[in-house]
Order: sequence, then structure tokens, then C-alpha cells
Amino acid sequence: MDFTLLLTTTMTLTLTIILTPILLPTLSNSPNSPTTITCVVKTAFLTSLIPMPLFIYSGTESITSYWEWKFIMNVKIPISLKMDQYSTTFFPIALFVTWSILQFATWYMAAEPHITKFFYYLLMFLIAMLTLTIANNLFLLFIGWEGVGIMSFLLIGWWHARAEANTAALQAILYNRIGDIGLILSMAWLASTTNNWEIQQNFTSTPTLPLLGLILAATGKSAQFGLHPWLPAAMEGPTPVSALLHSSTMVVAGIFLLIRTHPMFTNNPTALTLCLCLGALSTLFAATCAITQNDIKKIIAFSTSSQLGLMMVTIGLNLPQLAFLHISTHAFFKAMLFLCSGAIIHSLNGEQDIRKMGALPKMLPTTTSCMTIGNLALMGTPFLAGFYSKDLIIESMNTSYLNTWALLLTLLATSFTATYTLGMTLLVQTGFTRVPTTTPMNENNKTITNPITRLATGSIMAGLLITSFIIPTKTPPMTMPILTKTAAIVVTTLGIILALELSTMTHALTQPKQTTLTNFSSSLGYFNPLYHRSASAILLNNGQKLASHMINLSWYKKMGPEGLADLQLTMTKTSTTLHTGLIKTYLGSFALSILIVLLLH
Amino acid sequence: RDKYRYFACLLRERFDKNKDVKDMVKATELLKAGEEEFWANQHPQPYIFPDSPGGTSYERYDCYKVPEWCLDFWHPSEKAMYPDYFAKREQWKKLQRESWDKELKQLEEETPADGPRTEALPPARKEGHLPPLWWHYVTRPRDLPM
Repeated sequence: MDFTLLLTTTMTLTLTIILTPILLPTLSNSPNSPTTITCVVKTAFLTSLIPMPLFIYSGTESITSYWEWKFIMNVKIPISLKMDQYSTTFFPIALFVTWSILQFATWYMAAEPHITKFFYYLLMFLIAMLTLTIANNLFLLFIGWEGVGIMSFLLIGWWHARAEANTAALQAILYNRIGDIGLILSMAWLASTTNNWEIQQNFTSTPTLPLLGLILAATGKSAQFGLHPWLPAAMEGPTPVSALLHSSTMVVAGIFLLIRTHPMFTNNPTALTLCLCLGALSTLFAATCAITQNDIKKIIAFSTSSQLGLMMVTIGLNLPQLAFLHISTHAFFKAMLFLCSGAIIHSLNGEQDIRKMGALPKMLPTTTSCMTIGNLALMGTPFLAGFYSKDLIIESMNTSYLNTWALLLTLLATSFTATYTLGMTLLVQTGFTRVPTTTPMNENNKTITNPITRLATGSIMAGLLITSFIIPTKTPPMTMPILTKTAAIVVTTLGIILALELSTMTHALTQPKQTTLTNFSSSLGYFNPLYHRSASAILLNNGQKLASHMINLSWYKKMGPEGLADLQLTMTKTSTTLHTGLIKTYLGSFALSILIVLLLH
Repeated sequence: RDKYRYFACLLRERFDKNKDVKDMVKATELLKAGEEEFWANQHPQPYIFPDSPGGTSYERYDCYKVPEWCLDFWHPSEKAMYPDYFAKREQWKKLQRESWDKELKQLEEETPADGPRTEALPPARKEGHLPPLWWHYVTRPRDLPM
């Protein structure tokens, strides 16, 4: 039984199936509808389920090379697709999540006149993302990378008449661009030292500069601390967009790049430490900001950012497989959280503020129970999906001999995760209702309940399934003291207790104080205004200095008349102090000059 | 909601204590201090309704709102689908042209010298006139797209 052939054929068949909604209307005259696109993605999902067991059962990997782009004779850029553990596992997961999201979007975006265009955009995004995953060389990966960036811009700015949506889309593009500089830098280095961009020839000893470039690329795309503001701003897009792009797929593109190129990182402790610290910082920062947010989508966006920091930490620990595991499990429950929040928002007629929600389980039972499952999975409750990846990460971090600061930050961030998740659950679901009284709410539509429940079962089962079938290449730490083993759970329970304390405090009649800490957290750490305004202000100031001040001042004044006068003045000022009328000074200078003459001869 | 009522009562009591101060200087000082306290105690993320400016759903559907002069570009076969409207449309447009100068004059008279204070438009004052800027209100696109 030729597994390789079957594997390759089914994967390429999956890709072709996804391309059909774009190609078919050109051949026949029947236009596509959202339901056809959903069915197409469902078929693609079912087709992509075939390679996964093939890979798991027999461990076949394949690399297929199609057409080669010969424009410089030395540099080979083939279109080659790599079907290894990462792509065969990612395809079914991504397609499953996309299928559920598309089904949800047929209900959510039903009031849109251009809904088919929306679905086309989502489909284009999916194609770009899958190209990125299956790429064997960095060139194809870069094509997918840019593709997801552009589609993210188009999708975030879907309601382009809204000013904040346009600024958010611009932010996304600009921050991604800064990251792209890093990627192009590393690609250029690779192209100059070796003549092709294949992933097969990852070195084990590379200079730090290309690795820094790759880390910059991941920072931009995956919203690590330095280039992160675009992710909360990207919540201006419709909820299916947030669910697809900014929870499961696009934001993991950066981490995926690092996973693909991880042999280059193995022997470079600088790069690994940078990853570790950057990841820990982003986790903590995002979790801190999420605590005081009041918009559901922003809370979930910050939690995505936090989990991405965690993935970066895993890469810093030299454990790319674990990072991939976390990507896969995270996709399920994050997408489900977004879909649940979308269902809640739509039922409340556009209300996104959690201060205006409460007592939802009575009215939307399925959605709220799935939301609770998702939140528990996010916190890393034992035996749900998040547990398998998150707990392993924290265990590995505890038992490795690395940076304690990063460890502390990540543990703190885990407890904050529990805090804001529980806070969100409490405010959204419990208490008496603060919803405006005339909102019609029901869950009668199967189009929403089916995707959400499907993703819920995915969240519960996926962790178990993936860990049972994927053999890790590095042995996970087996023995450790009990405190280290239960560190994650202990820290999570601490976070839960903190959240309960906060909620009881709000019920007591205290006036909320505005300490510097709450201010820091609610204005997102002052990062946005600081960064955005200072960057443009510095640029414009420098430009003004360069253009007007420097030319006028320096050339006309300093070089010419005033400069000479200044020089003369300084000299004369120093010598006039000696022009006293006392003989002692003259005798002193006399003696000094005689001494110098004697010394010289 | 009950919490808010409690604090509102406390604030009201503080306010009422100083109600009878006749000294203008002291009253303005108190007002200033009150405004500063308000600014310092403001909520960092005030609640904004989705459809109000700054909210999450504001201007969201503006990209689907087509201006009304596009109706003039419709093909006659499309116009035949709504015969009642298009039969009267020319008369409405003539009415708009006639009353535009009068509306403009009324608005110019009624706006204060340094710009309008609110967004509210004044009603029609004279007999036989139409309220100012009525055309933009009558032919506005619907709020939610179809």
C-alpha cells in the first residue's frame, strides 16, 4: 500500500477542493452562495481527514515539488509542498475550525448585502493560510504570509465606513510589515549563504542575525509585546473574522514559522533566551490588560495574545512540538469562545459590553455552557484540551534550568488568565440580568448551535486525541517534585480565588479607586498612545530639524560668520582670565614658560 | 443599579450642604473643585452604547448607504418596478429646488455668529415654508441594510 502517494494525493486534493468556489463560477453561470462555500470547506475537511491517520499509522512524510521558477540559474525556487507532522495535523484542525466558523457566519452575517464577498474573502484567507502551512521553502511561506496579512486587512476593514475599523486595519498591516522586514532579512541571508530556501537545509549553527530576523517576524505576526497593539484593535472586524484569523490561524503563522525553522535555533542560546523573555513578557502584559477590559471581544483578544506569548515561551524552551500542540488545542477553544461571544452579541442586538450582560444561561443555555467549557479549557482545567498543552509547557519550564524571571512571569500570567476568564464568565453569565429589557433572544437556529457544540466536543477531545497519537521527539520531563507538577493548577486556583474576591468586592458598597495599577491595566499599559504618537512625532520633528533647522542654522550661521566668532570668543574668554594686573600671575607664567623650554631642550 | 442609587444619594447630600452659599467667589471655587473631582474620578472605560459615536456599532453600515441621487441613474425598466415613487419624484425634486433658498436663509438667520451650538435643526417658522434640510431627512437611507 503506497502510503506516500495516497498522502500526497489527498493533501493536494484538499487544496484543490478549496480552490473550486473561485474557479467554478467562471466556468458555469451559477453564482456561489454562502452555503455552497460552507459545504465545500466541509468536503475539504473530510478529505483532509484521510492523510492524518495515514501519517499517524505509518509515519510517512512527503515532499512534493512542482514547477520550479527558474529566473536565476543558481537559486532554485520550486513550489514544493511538505507534508509532515505539522501540516498533516494542522490541515484537519484548521479546516474543522473554518467549517464551523463559516457555518456560524451564515447566521451571523445574514443581514449583510455582500455576504458572498465576505465568504470569498474568508476562503482566500484559508487558502493563504494553508499555503503557509504546507510550504516547504520560505518563498512559498512568504507568499502565504503576505496573503494572510492582506486578507486580514480586507477582513478587519470589512465595514469600511467606520473610522475605527479602517485605523485598525491599517494598524494590522503596518505592524505586520515591520515583522516582514525581519522575515525578508533572514530570507536574504539564507539566499546569500545557501542557494535555496528549502526548509530541509536548516543549519544547526547560524549566526544570530537571521534568527533575530525570524523572531522579529514572529513578533509582528503573532503580536508579541513590541508589536502587539494591532490584535486588540483587530476586534473591529466582524466576529467570524476574529474567530478565524485572530484566534486560530493567522496569529499562529509567526509561531509556525519559528517551528518550521527550529533547528536553526537549537544551538543559539541568545535567540532562545530572547524568545523566552519576549514570550513571558507578552503573556504577562496581555493578561494584565485583559483583567480590566469591559468588552468581551477585547478580553478574548488579549487572551489570544497571552496564549501566543505562552507559545513563544515554548519555542524558547526548545520544544517546537509542544508549541504546535498548543496551537492545535488553542485553535479549538479560542474559536469556540469567539463564536459563543458572537452568538451572545448578536442576540443582544450588538451589545458587546459585559457590564450589560447577565443571567444568560436562562436564555441561551447551549451557548453559555459551551462558553464555560471553553473558558475552563483556556484555564487549563485537567483533562480538557488546554490541560495537555498548557500544563506540559509549565512543567517543562519548571524543570528546565533556565530563566527564573520568565518562569515567574508566566506563572503570574497563568493566574491572571484564570482571573479574567472567570471574571468574564461571572459578569456575562451570572448575576441578575443587566440586559436592556426589549432584546429578543433565542437559540432556535441550528446554524449556530451546531458549530458551537461541534467545537465544544473538539475542545474536550482534541487534547486527548492529539497527545495520544503524536509521538514527541523529545522526552517530556517525567520526574519532578509535587509542587512543580501541580504548579499550574495551584496558580490557576489562586487566580480563581482572586477573581472571586474581586467580584465580592464589587458587590460590597465600596467606591472603586483609581490606583495607578488599574490605570495601567485599563489603558492597555499606555502603550498605544505612547507609541503611536511618539513615533510620528519623532519622525516629523527629525524631518523638520533636518530640513529647515539644520540647513539654515548650520550652513548659514555656524559655518560662516557665527562659527568663527564663537571660536574666537571661547579662546579669548579663557585667556582673559589670565589678564589680571598682579605681578604674581606674570611671574608665574614666566616661570612656566621657562620650565617648558628647559624641558623641551 | 442599587449601588449607583446609594452613591448618588451620598453625592446629593454633599451637594445640598453647600446649596445656600450666596458668595459668588466661594460658589465658583466649589464648582471648580467639583469639576476637578469629577475628572479625577472618571471611569477609564466609560460605557458607550453601541450605536452612539465611539461605540462598537457606530457607522457600521454606512458603507451600504447609497445617496439618493443614484436613483436618477436607474434604468427605466428598474424604475418601472416602483411606479408610484418615480411618478411623484420629479414633483418632489421641484419642491426641493424651490424651498432650498428659503431654508438656507432661515438657517443663516438662526445660527449664532460663532457657529451652531447643537445638532438640532430649527422647525419651519413661517406659513408655507418647509423645515430646513428636510430633503436629507426624508431621503435618508435605512439604518440597517436589507
